[in-house]
Amino acid sequence: MRRMSSSIVQGHFIRPTDHETPKTIGFIQCVGSRSEKRGNRYCSNICCMNTIKDSVLLKDHYPDIDIKVFYMDIRAFGKAFEDLFRRSKEAGVKYIRGLPGEVVEDPKTKNLIISVENTTTGEVEQHELDMLVLSVGVLPRQDGATIQKLLTLSRTADGFFMESHPKLKPVDAPTKGVFFAGCAEFPKDVKDSVTQAGAASARAEIILNADRIKVEAITSMVDKDMCTACEICYRACPYKCIEVDREKKMPAEIIEAACAGCGTCGAECPFGAVTMRHFTDDQIISQIEAILEEDPEEKTVVFACNWCSYQGADFAGISRLQYPPNQRIIRTMCSGRVDEEFVLYAFKLGAPIVLVSGCHFADCHYIDANRWTQKRVEKLWDKLEKMGIRPERLQLEWISAAEGQKFAKVMRELEEMRKKVTKEEIEFTKKALKDLKFKKEKRLAKLTADRAKAEKAAV
Amino acid sequence: MAEEATFKCLRCGHEFKMPFDPKGPMVERACPKCLSNSVRRMKEEKK
Repeated sequence: MRRMSSSIVQGHFIRPTDHETPKTIGFIQCVGSRSEKRGNRYCSNICCMNTIKDSVLLKDHYPDIDIKVFYMDIRAFGKAFEDLFRRSKEAGVKYIRGLPGEVVEDPKTKNLIISVENTTTGEVEQHELDMLVLSVGVLPRQDGATIQKLLTLSRTADGFFMESHPKLKPVDAPTKGVFFAGCAEFPKDVKDSVTQAGAASARAEIILNADRIKVEAITSMVDKDMCTACEICYRACPYKCIEVDREKKMPAEIIEAACAGCGTCGAECPFGAVTMRHFTDDQIISQIEAILEEDPEEKTVVFACNWCSYQGADFAGISRLQYPPNQRIIRTMCSGRVDEEFVLYAFKLGAPIVLVSGCHFADCHYIDANRWTQKRVEKLWDKLEKMGIRPERLQLEWISAAEGQKFAKVMRELEEMRKKVTKEEIEFTKKALKDLKFKKEKRLAKLTADRAKAEKAAV
Repeated sequence: MAEEATFKCLRCGHEFKMPFDPKGPMVERACPKCLSNSVRRMKEEKK
């Protein structure tokens, strides 16, 4: 078993052990790929076509060579790929459906004997080969974690860099000014890599040719008097665009040019010191109050993120999908903005059901801000249960912009749940939350008390 | 190695087990029965 490139010497294909041209070659596909138990779960995308191309080249050079390809399934999806696959079969390449379970070397001939279950015939076969080529899966770079940290990027569970959006921004990184091309993002062939590189350079040119760069208008802001420099906002920020020093008691400062405006820092700040332009606490609280001003027991409060869930609702609407009209949507840029006090306040005002919805994990427009949403909702479920409020009344859902049907289905299900929430339950919740104070109020009260104390001491 | 934990769907009430690694990256959860994402991990009672 050898690397194929090391077997090509002066234009001739040889077996490295004895420098003879092999008469029988086997290719094993999906080595370390598409396996839940061993190696990688993903398909490496390029191996099938690479093997087919190699087999055609070998047959062109050595028409008598016997080539066997052992595979799970051949993925020849690109332009002219199917034709090449057909050419390879017409040239005499044998495709055997089944992955070998054992490879043994004959000590005399140095040939390899492989055992494989041919899943087409259902029989276990043995094949003697002069040479075996493994189609090993493509792996992400090992230093990916370092680059991720340096450039504040996001990676998939497989270790490849995650694009800003799989459909709308396929070459952009979540960090402005960083673009992907080639296998950094996912295994791809030369053609796709060149296409992506072209798109990436065009995207970069937009920034380079601009006289002025526009920054996000919706950014976070810090009230320095309220800030205790606890660094929680820094930990929550997916872009690490907050400067704060706990030891020096230096209050948080937002680097506005780098802030993308998810608002997770505002939701996580325990002192109400951070808020977001255009999506301030007061604005969102006013919306909750307006929604629940009349007949609150008939309403379901839905927090929907701007990019996915809100668009999903829009899609449900333009698709004329039917769902009950009791939902009232409050739009936030990201579900990470949904502060726990917004949810509790809605319950305090008599909301029977509250839904927090955002993008699917892979689609999050703010790197990983919606992971904070999930964490927060999980904490809230515990909190509600401790207060004697059914956690079921707080729902969480990931709805993409294309999932209008899912949005409508969720709304129908929530309406059924809403009908089951009794008046007594709502009254109990109101009582349980009657002493709810906003963190900002609490912090202000503390600051006022501290100031009064200091003044008294000075006198 | 991820251990298994018990989860409860807060939409349909279905209880199920799935791999859970408290130190690993957060994963999107869905109820295998109704596909809802309102899936809560049930903490085991301390003995």
